[in-house]
Amino acid sequence: MKVLESAPDRYDRGIRILTFGKLDKSYDRLASHIKSGHKVLDIGCGTGALTLRAAQKGANVKGIDVNLRMLEIAQKRAREMHVAENVEFCEKGVAELDGEGSENYDIVMSGLCFSELSEYEVIYALEEIKRILRPRGILLIADEVRPKSLSKRVFHWLIRLPLGIITYILTQTATHPVENLPEMTEKAGFVIESVRLNRMEDFMELIGTKPGE
Amino acid sequence: MKLLNYVAVNTIETLLRVIPIPCKVGMLTIGNPGRSSPVFLTCNYHLTVKRVKRALRGIDCYLLVANSKGHNVWCGATGGHFTNHDVISVLKTSGVNGLVDHRSVILPQLAATGIESDHIRKRTGWKIIWGPVYARDIQAFIKNDFKKTIEMRVVTFPLASRIEMAIMWAFPFSIIASLITICFWPEVLLPLNVLIWGLPFLIFVFFPLYAKWLNPEKKGVNFSKYTVIFDFGRTPLILWGLAMSCLLGFSVLTNSFAWPSILRWGFIFLVVILIVSLDLMGSTPTYKSGLHEDRFLKVVLDERKCRAAGFCEQVCPRNCYEVDGSRHTATMPGAKKCVQCGACVVQCPFDAVYFMGPDGEILPPATVRRFKLNLLGKRLKAAEKNTGLSL
Repeated sequence: MKVLESAPDRYDRGIRILTFGKLDKSYDRLASHIKSGHKVLDIGCGTGALTLRAAQKGANVKGIDVNLRMLEIAQKRAREMHVAENVEFCEKGVAELDGEGSENYDIVMSGLCFSELSEYEVIYALEEIKRILRPRGILLIADEVRPKSLSKRVFHWLIRLPLGIITYILTQTATHPVENLPEMTEKAGFVIESVRLNRMEDFMELIGTKPGE
Repeated sequence: MKLLNYVAVNTIETLLRVIPIPCKVGMLTIGNPGRSSPVFLTCNYHLTVKRVKRALRGIDCYLLVANSKGHNVWCGATGGHFTNHDVISVLKTSGVNGLVDHRSVILPQLAATGIESDHIRKRTGWKIIWGPVYARDIQAFIKNDFKKTIEMRVVTFPLASRIEMAIMWAFPFSIIASLITICFWPEVLLPLNVLIWGLPFLIFVFFPLYAKWLNPEKKGVNFSKYTVIFDFGRTPLILWGLAMSCLLGFSVLTNSFAWPSILRWGFIFLVVILIVSLDLMGSTPTYKSGLHEDRFLKVVLDERKCRAAGFCEQVCPRNCYEVDGSRHTATMPGAKKCVQCGACVVQCPFDAVYFMGPDGEILPPATVRRFKLNLLGKRLKAAEKNTGLSL
């Protein structure tokens, strides 16, 4: 029990190795929905992978995360990319979304965050996101999910086990893939626009909208 | 059957104690709780939850399990894995808000290094009551009208805990060493395992006998109590080199030089040196951290700011404080026992206690709250730089 140090410095590199660079492409696809002038919230922004993409498109972005050290790195990167005026970082968890005003954002996005939450937290987060999104606002999620078919699930675990150990050594966090993400999103009152699964069926890009009045 | 399960879980997870084993986060209902039943909160280390559930048998209550990423309460809270966010999250998302009329939640005392009661109250409306250190005292704590006796506040390191530590230390070592030796030197398996299990038991069982001669105040490089003799780094390598040259000299002099045996003995020496010198460095609630610069910090009590709120006395694992409610002052008669955990600094609502470095530099309580031990003893440096994070 002596693994005390969280390791944000190694996080980016670790994740890139573990996802074989595919995460970047996925984030680019999600960011293509963001337009200049949009007001965007990035939940679990970490070192700012999605936040900075949105800021480069000219959106006004707020990134929240519980890890202060990660946010420091994100802030530094924002300065290096000359988008610091467009972004704001805040040490906050999903349970602290109630501080955000209602119908305040055009887009709420989250990459690799829901898989670190408990089921209760995911339900709570989705409800809060619905509240803070403007009508017809967009929800963008990219995350690990549990494959539906048994054979893929077995295959997934075979690959995941060694990767999980590496992830743990690099980042000292363990994630658990989200189950029934589209169902939960729908239940929270979103309209699912598209769901994109990778071939392994263990990574999902989900786009939903909040219905208009 | 239940008992059997409990014993099995305790045995297996004591062996695997070095690995954080998480369990499900959320709310557990114990007995038949009503709207005024007490609410307890703990971390999501599997063994902890198991033990707390057992300690709560017969009490109608709710038990909230917060996400400490599988770390135990002390390591989680002190090391930055069990944070305000996790407590806020479980209070808000578990649904406990709608089940009870009161807003008091009982937390284990050892979480006080990382969880700020003031912050939690402002964000959620829940008031934190610092419960006993050990789950086994919970029943007595309730009978005592939710007040702690000194015994419930002080952390001890009795024989049982020391044996537990020895087991958690020996087991992973014996597995790794056995896997290696079984391939190239199977006949040594038994004696090597006796050695690997014997050394940690000797180190931990006799800890109180030699502890007083180990002086963490010494300003030498990384001298540590837990590393028992030396800290892992240059010294063990020198030691290993010495042992190896003795071995080489011996084999040359006795004319029995052979590479395989040199390699094998070199491996054995390495294992022994690793066992006595590696780890158990770090901060504990009973003994000073010998490795970190934190050991040079001193807790200072500012009597002008103190209003005898008594949080320091409630959270100190070493019973350093004495609060005089009638005279509205706190004193530190046990200042010598302090292990720099920082719980009092984090909790004091008036910022009346703070850390002071060896050269008189002051560490503001806000810095300590922000970093806790995340900086692994680099709090001093943080104070020097006064790291105003630009957030």
